[in-house]
Amino acid sequence: MLHRRDARMKLLALLAVLVAVATTQPFGLVTASGFAALLGAGLLISRLPVTGVLARAAVVLPFTVTFAGIAWLAGEAGRAFALIAKPYLSALAVLLVVATTPMPALLAAASSLGVPRMLVLVLQFLYRYLFVVAEQAQHMWVAAQCRGAALRTSHRAGRFRAASGTLAVLFARSYEKAEGIERSMLARCFDGRIRLLAPPRLGWRDLALLAFAAVAAWSWRWWVAS
Amino acid sequence: MHIPDGFLSTAVWATAGAVSVPSVAYLARKSHRALDDGQTPLMGVMGAFVFAAQMINFPVGIGTSGHLVGGALLAVTLGPAAASIVMTAILTVQALLFQDGGVLALGANVFNMAIAGVLAGYLPYRYWGGSSHRKAAIFSGGFLSVFVSACLAMGQLLLSGVPMPRPVTYVSLGLFAVSALIEGGITVAVAGALERLNPSWVRAPEEKPRVGLGLILVAAMLLVSLGALFASSLPDGLERLAENLGIAGRARNLFETPLADYQARFLATDWVRKAVAGLVGLGVVYAACMLIGRAVTRRAAVSRSG
Repeated sequence: MLHRRDARMKLLALLAVLVAVATTQPFGLVTASGFAALLGAGLLISRLPVTGVLARAAVVLPFTVTFAGIAWLAGEAGRAFALIAKPYLSALAVLLVVATTPMPALLAAASSLGVPRMLVLVLQFLYRYLFVVAEQAQHMWVAAQCRGAALRTSHRAGRFRAASGTLAVLFARSYEKAEGIERSMLARCFDGRIRLLAPPRLGWRDLALLAFAAVAAWSWRWWVAS
Repeated sequence: MHIPDGFLSTAVWATAGAVSVPSVAYLARKSHRALDDGQTPLMGVMGAFVFAAQMINFPVGIGTSGHLVGGALLAVTLGPAAASIVMTAILTVQALLFQDGGVLALGANVFNMAIAGVLAGYLPYRYWGGSSHRKAAIFSGGFLSVFVSACLAMGQLLLSGVPMPRPVTYVSLGLFAVSALIEGGITVAVAGALERLNPSWVRAPEEKPRVGLGLILVAAMLLVSLGALFASSLPDGLERLAENLGIAGRARNLFETPLADYQARFLATDWVRKAVAGLVGLGVVYAACMLIGRAVTRRAAVSRSG
């Protein structure tokens, strides 16, 4: 359901929900459960693996729990709860959109919503080569380990120098790769634009999704406040 | 170090967003002009490189290790405008794909790390890079890029009212300093190794060495970031002294100014009043500095020609 909706509308709906969550004050258990119900409904109709998404959103917890603990020790229990609930619900909302939208469609949507074309292009190349370069780093690390880099007996300064050398070589390889990409893209008539195979079309369902998410989140926000 | 959503108050994230969005648009246009179109793949791949570089650990002693953050290294290899765009792209991918930092807080994170951090990382190199203190310049660039952005992030959290006892603030300040020192060391080591592989990869600084000006700028950066941190939690030093000495109660205004107590009284809401008063004050100080600067340079020119 959520996978087929237009990426622009999903991004706008995400912004509406995020701003509603961020601006609600105070943020108690009742308020949080309303937003959680909205996001839970989204999670169910998206048919994403529920436990997987819930666990994935929990990556924000180590940071937030630290600050919430400090707030709780300072005697501000309400704020401590908000410091855990708000980031978790926001991360859940972001995941719901990112996990149901292919990255190229998401970036094309961002571009049509006014994000500079230059930044979108850089994001596209960054996403495309992220795992390529990371794998290269992994290979170099394994190769270095085979030559004894993990041995703790070697001198610290030596290991520091070896690590900086590794990074320099990784930089060199990334640079070469970028030059190769540039030449091959120019050879294929690259004009600074990346096109989608299927251009997005806006239907009434997409508008309904945006309207539903925005109205639900904001009416809950106002109802709780009043 | 990335701020997630829900931590910043609306005034803080909205202001940071309002500063970051036009800045990024301007920097995108500027880097587009500085590089030709074919360089965009290079910027994207360099972003991927910074991501991958975080997998390589540097031993720093006592059983701990650090990794490259990359703002200063990108600035000395790609130039400051392109480095800001690459850092913005990295922060966006981290927020969207890895839930590291929030989407609404992206404005604040971009301002701290991609704009202020990269600028602070580039300034020492710009002014000392051509002198014999080249290594010191790259080191302080790495140091400042991390320290300034960490202080700004902490200041924003304090401004948003996230409770933080004084000892916690001092301990985290110490941790920031240590990780900033590590970043400085890594940046120097990697930039040196890069220059040995291919000297053209590290850009030549655009300016002739001006060590004095560079020192002043670095000191100003440190003062501003530390000031942002402490201003959000402490009262003004002079006012505090007055309160301690008991003269605050006896103070009497000689004349009424339109911006007294940093508030523009003709406006309705409290924070709008303070913001407008702050901006007007900033504008007045800027204009005064401009006029004095013009007068001084004109006098210098006259004395040189005469």
